[in-house]
Amino acid sequence: MSTASVLADRARQASADRWRVRVQRVQHVGFRAFGWLLLAIVLVVALFPPYFMTITAFHPPSLSFSRTPTLFSTDLSLRAFAELFDKYPYLQWMANTALVSVCSTIFSVTVATLAAYSLSRLRYRGRSTLSSAVFFVYLFPSTLLFIPMFIVLNSLHMLNWLPALIAVYLTFSVPFSVWLLKAYFLSIPRELEDAAQVDGATRWQSLALVVLPLAAPGIAVACIYAFTLAWNEYLYAFTLLGDQEKFTLATGLTKLIFGDVFLWGMIMAGGVMMSAPLLILYFVAQRYIVAGLSAGAIKG
Amino acid sequence: MALRVGARRSALPQVWGRQGTLARDEAAFGYLLLLPAALLILVLVGVPFLNALWLSFHKKLLGATDAPWIGLQNYATLIADLVFWQAVKNTFVFTVGSIGSKLVIGLLIALVLNEALPMRGLWRSIVMLPYAMPTLVSVLVWKWMYNDVAGVLNYLATTAHVADHQILWLGDPSIAMPAVIAVNVWRGFPFFVITILAGLQTVPQELYDAAKVDGAGVWARFAQVTLPGILPVLAVTTLFSAILTFNDFSIIWILTQGGPGNATNVLATLTYKIAIPGLELGKGVAVSVLMLPILVLMIVFLNRFISRREELA
Repeated sequence: MSTASVLADRARQASADRWRVRVQRVQHVGFRAFGWLLLAIVLVVALFPPYFMTITAFHPPSLSFSRTPTLFSTDLSLRAFAELFDKYPYLQWMANTALVSVCSTIFSVTVATLAAYSLSRLRYRGRSTLSSAVFFVYLFPSTLLFIPMFIVLNSLHMLNWLPALIAVYLTFSVPFSVWLLKAYFLSIPRELEDAAQVDGATRWQSLALVVLPLAAPGIAVACIYAFTLAWNEYLYAFTLLGDQEKFTLATGLTKLIFGDVFLWGMIMAGGVMMSAPLLILYFVAQRYIVAGLSAGAIKG
Repeated sequence: MALRVGARRSALPQVWGRQGTLARDEAAFGYLLLLPAALLILVLVGVPFLNALWLSFHKKLLGATDAPWIGLQNYATLIADLVFWQAVKNTFVFTVGSIGSKLVIGLLIALVLNEALPMRGLWRSIVMLPYAMPTLVSVLVWKWMYNDVAGVLNYLATTAHVADHQILWLGDPSIAMPAVIAVNVWRGFPFFVITILAGLQTVPQELYDAAKVDGAGVWARFAQVTLPGILPVLAVTTLFSAILTFNDFSIIWILTQGGPGNATNVLATLTYKIAIPGLELGKGVAVSVLMLPILVLMIVFLNRFISRREELA
């Protein structure tokens, strides 16, 4: 091959390289602009429903007697809230929901902590099968279980009885918490426990004094999720509670939707109050929740 | 293979023999700690599950005291019923449509948020907002926005001249399904964003640098470095969300109650409709039992994926 053709080849190569770099730069800028645009759209779409809920709650349709929705107003009032408290036992619903959520959370996380420790740390026959079984139960459909639950509680005259609902909620919060905590226990180094046991601690002592304090953030995440699941639950509460005084927020609020336009102010006011505890919880504990989400995968 | 299994089995008792009491002690402690949870699950899930299977073979009506055995008749009537097949189709459309959209949106937003953006923490918090709101409240807000008389979506669509008449978001059979999917996607996409974002952070930076040196462009780097790196996360997240979407009752029930006609009737809402307003408890349960094979298949896959990841970790 002649020197000239080698040089020509090199020049062609160099120009191709430059061209490729330029294409890549344009591509990069293009992708980036597209990404930002997309993010902006998604942010607006994510924010709009909560915003619209809030504006409807504080400027309810009954205030303007208009069928044009209010997108912005400085004329805010608490009338929808007052009307909601006046016409419906909203505070009773909130108390019921809080009772059911707190009790099922405490109970399930306690039981689940022991089980998760056992499944992640102790060796015995059938451990991995039992582990899979727990996971399986967590994803078991409530549509399959609510009918037998309904029949049994009906025959025992326990419909409309909140402790029965708490027990029913354990069907998902126990397996779920076990599964979440198991992943968490696996991430705690085993050496610390071994050291405690070498120093003469009993199994109970090493669990209570070494493992539990280390697992505290994981236990907190399990509590937040168990609480959220119970706070949100609809199907069981809807089928197992019939008495308005016993409703949870989920069932109480949905009973209102089959009314007319002017009820939406009250419904949104109820929605604001139902969301507030969870939103506060989420934004205070956001770091832990993100960690929990990445450790496993939670209700989507 | 068989040899190795055999070898392990014969090796086990020796090890246990040497530290027999310790192992036995550990096992006893393990079973003891597991006992409360196991009992609860057995009583609260195991018994109702067997009861559900039993019911599906009986003609149990709401309010009736007797429940005669009818064999497979509940299943036979369902399989001959077009409404059932419509619900099967709807369940798949709802699940696949929701999961597909959540996956695409979740992946794109996660990729954007993984870049060095100003105020990234704030954007991430806002993206989390739909996930932090109670599902039920989100569904109610969307129902209000979809309202055909005074809803904000119709107002925006007509004032922006996108539509010249009011759209029956939840009342038009061809729009209702996309409308309920949109609510599910709105609520569920942050879950995809957060898990995918966590997955992206585990992809080593050196791989990107190496790909850049090799002259790989944005697209090539995504397809050959990012995608293989986050594939396990994508699989787990997608399966997980698919299972929960497949089972979902409340979003569709509150928005449309399965209507108009049966346009959004999925297996979960069909179960309820047959069992409670329809009074046929046994037949209602049979619908849910028929969901089990696919559900079990998905759970088995997911469980295998997750335990493999745990072994690697």
